[in-house]
Amino acid sequence: MTLKRSVRRRQKPPFAQRAKDQCRKFTAFMFSNVGIIMLVVIYTIAGSFMFIAIEGKEAMVRTEKSNKEKNLLALKLWNISCCVSNVFNESSYRNLVDREILAFQRKIVKQAQKGSGSGENPWSFPGAFLYSLTVITTIGYGNISPRTSLGKITTILYAIIGMPLFLLYLSNIGDVMAKSFKWIYAKVCLCRICPGVAKRRLLRERRKTLEMIRRQELEDLSSSSGISRSSSTKISGESTTGTNFTDVDIDVEAVIQAEPHTVIVPLTTCVMIMIGYILCGATLFSRWEAWGVLDGSYFCFISLTSIGFGDIVPGTQVLRNSKESIVEVSFILCAVYLLLGMALIAMCFNLMQEQVIHKLRSIKQGGTDEDVDISVSPGRNREDRDRNAV
Amino acid sequence: MSLRRSKSLTRSQGSLASSSIRPRHDARRQVKDCCRKFVAFMCTQVGVGALIVAYSIIGAFCFISVETQVNNTTTDDVAILRRSYALELWEKTEHLNMFNKTEWMFEMDDVLKSFQDEVSSAIKNGFDARTPEEIWSFPAALMYCLSIFTMIGYGNIVPKTQWGKGLTVIYATFGIPLYILYFLNIGKILAKTFKILYRCIHECTHDKTEDILEQGGYIPQKKVIVPSTACLWVISFYIFTGTIMFANWERWSYLDSVYFCVTSLCKIGMGDFVPGANFYNDSITSQQTKLAINFVYVLLGMGLVAMCYNLMREEVKVKLKEMKEDLKLCLEDLRNRFTGICGSEDYEEEEW
Repeated sequence: MTLKRSVRRRQKPPFAQRAKDQCRKFTAFMFSNVGIIMLVVIYTIAGSFMFIAIEGKEAMVRTEKSNKEKNLLALKLWNISCCVSNVFNESSYRNLVDREILAFQRKIVKQAQKGSGSGENPWSFPGAFLYSLTVITTIGYGNISPRTSLGKITTILYAIIGMPLFLLYLSNIGDVMAKSFKWIYAKVCLCRICPGVAKRRLLRERRKTLEMIRRQELEDLSSSSGISRSSSTKISGESTTGTNFTDVDIDVEAVIQAEPHTVIVPLTTCVMIMIGYILCGATLFSRWEAWGVLDGSYFCFISLTSIGFGDIVPGTQVLRNSKESIVEVSFILCAVYLLLGMALIAMCFNLMQEQVIHKLRSIKQGGTDEDVDISVSPGRNREDRDRNAV
Repeated sequence: MSLRRSKSLTRSQGSLASSSIRPRHDARRQVKDCCRKFVAFMCTQVGVGALIVAYSIIGAFCFISVETQVNNTTTDDVAILRRSYALELWEKTEHLNMFNKTEWMFEMDDVLKSFQDEVSSAIKNGFDARTPEEIWSFPAALMYCLSIFTMIGYGNIVPKTQWGKGLTVIYATFGIPLYILYFLNIGKILAKTFKILYRCIHECTHDKTEDILEQGGYIPQKKVIVPSTACLWVISFYIFTGTIMFANWERWSYLDSVYFCVTSLCKIGMGDFVPGANFYNDSITSQQTKLAINFVYVLLGMGLVAMCYNLMREEVKVKLKEMKEDLKLCLEDLRNRFTGICGSEDYEEEEW
C-alpha cells in the first residue's frame, strides 16, 4: 500500500513543483550547517586568491626596493673606504661606517613597522588565507596588511560582506554544537544511557535533599520557642515532604524519560570547556612554535576574544628557518583552531544563556520577592548581551 | 530559607499591627529603594559610560606602572649588534684586496643582508627604538585599554612583560562584559532617540491629509520602522566625518583614513594605521587632546553601530514575518491549485 502510494506520489508532482522542491532543499542545505561551513571556507579561499592577486605584485616590488637600498648602502661604504677616509685610520673609518649603518637600520625599522622587513613575500596562499580569516572574524592581527589602495578598498568591501556571513556561521554552528553537546552530556555524564543506574542515582539524590530539608526543619523547630505559627509551618512542611515521597518514583521516571534538550548543562562546565580549549591550544602552539606556555595561552585568549594584537603570530618562528611547508601548515593549523574555537565559544554562550534563564525562572517561581528579581535581571541581561554580541 | 520566613513573619505582623511597625519598615524600604535606584542608575547609559571611562583610566595607570618597571635591554642589544657589524666590515676591508670592487661589494652585501635579518628579527622580538616610558604615555595606555575591551586590538602597543600579559587577560575578562553592557545600553537609547527623530521628520515631511482623511482627525501612534538605508546613511556620515578629521590631523590620505575608520568600527583593528603614531612633530598637549578625541570617537562610533544593529534587527524581524506570511499564502494557493488540477480523489494524499 505504502509502496504504491509512494510511486503514485512520485509521478504526481509536475515539473515545476519538483524544481521548486529541489530549489527549496538546496537553499535549506545552503543555509544549513554544512552549507554554511562550506560557504565560509570558500569565501575565505576566494578572498585569499583575490588578495594575492592584488597585493602580491606590490610586495615583490617592495622587496626589490629594499634590495636596491642595500646595494646603495654597499656602494656608499665602498666610496667611504676607497675615496673619502683614510683607510688606515680605524676609528674614523668606524665612525663613518657606524653612521651609515645607523641610517640603514632606521630605514629597516620603519619598513618593518609598516610591514614585513625581512624581505620575503608575505602574500603566500596560507598567509593570505589567514589574512582573509582575520578580516571576517574581526580579529585583525595586522601582521600582514594591504599596502595598495585597491587592496584597502577590497578589504573594506570584503569585511562588510564577510562579517554577517561569519556571524551566521557562528549562530548556526553554535546552535548545533550546543544541541549535540547537551545530548552527549545527558547520555554520558548523567548516565541516561542505562536507565537503571540513572534511576538509582536520582533516587539517592532526592532522598538526600529530603533528609536535609527535614533536618533543617527540625533545627528550626528546636531553635524557635514553641509559637503556634511555627508549629503550623512545621505541619505544612511535613505534609509537603510526605507528598514528595510518594511522588518521587513518578518524578524520576518523568525526568529519565525527558528529552535530552531539557537537560541543563551547568555553568562551570561551560567555563571549564573554554579554559580547557585555551590551555589545549596553548600547549599545541607552544610545542609547534617554541613559545612559552604563557605566551601560547596569551595568544589563544587574545585571538579567541577577537582582540588580536598581532604581536605573537604563528609562523614567525619557523619563518626564520625558511621552511615554507612548515609555515603553511602552521598557518592552516591556526585557521582551523580559530574557526573551531569561535564556534565553541558561541556554543558555550548558548548553553550559559539557557542556564541563566532557567535559574531566573526558578527564582521567580520560588520567591515572589521583587528585590531578588531586580538584583538578578542585570546579570541575565549581560549574558544575553554576551551571546548577542558573539 | 529562614530569612524568607522571617520576612514573611514581619510582613504578617505588619498587617496585624501596621501602625506600630510601619516606620521601621519604611526606613528599610527607603534604603532598599536607594540601593535599587543606584543599581538602576549604574545600569543606565550615563552610569555605564562613566564606569567604562573609569575602568579604562584605572587600566591605563595599571599598565603604565606594570610596563615601565622593566627596562628594555633590546635597544642596547641593537646598538651592540650594529657596532659588531661595523667591526666586521672593517675586518673584511682589511682582509680583502681593496681594489677589487665587485668582490668587495659582494662581501659587503652578504654582511648587510645578515645585519638586516638580525635587525628585523629584533624588531619582531619587540625592539622599538623607544624606551618604555616613551611608549607608555598616558594617552597611549588609554588607547591600549580601549583597544582591549572593545576587542579592536590595534597591536601598535603590546605588553612586553609576563605580568603585563597576565594583566591583559584579566583586564579583558572583566572589561569585555562591561563593554557589552555599554554597547547594548547605548544602542538601545540611541535607537530610541533616533526613532523619535525619524518619526518627527517623517511626519513633518509626509503629507498628512491622507491620514487625516482615513482616520478622521486623531492619528494613532502607529509604529514607524526606520528603514535600514537611514541607518546606513547615519553610519556612512559618521565615517565620513571621521575620515576628514583623521586625514587632516594625521596627514593620511583620504583612502587610508576611510580604511582606518571602517576597520576600527568593524572591530578588525589591523593596526597599520593608528592615530597618535604621528608623534614626532606635535606638542604633547595637542597629542593628548587628539588621543582623547580619538577615544571619544571610537566609543561613540561603537554606540552608533549598536544603534544600527538594534534598528536593523527590528526591520529584519518585520521583513521575515512578512516573508513568512507571503510564503504561507503562496503554499496555500499552490495547494488549492493542486487540488483543482488533480481532482478530489487525491485530496487526502495531498493532505499528508
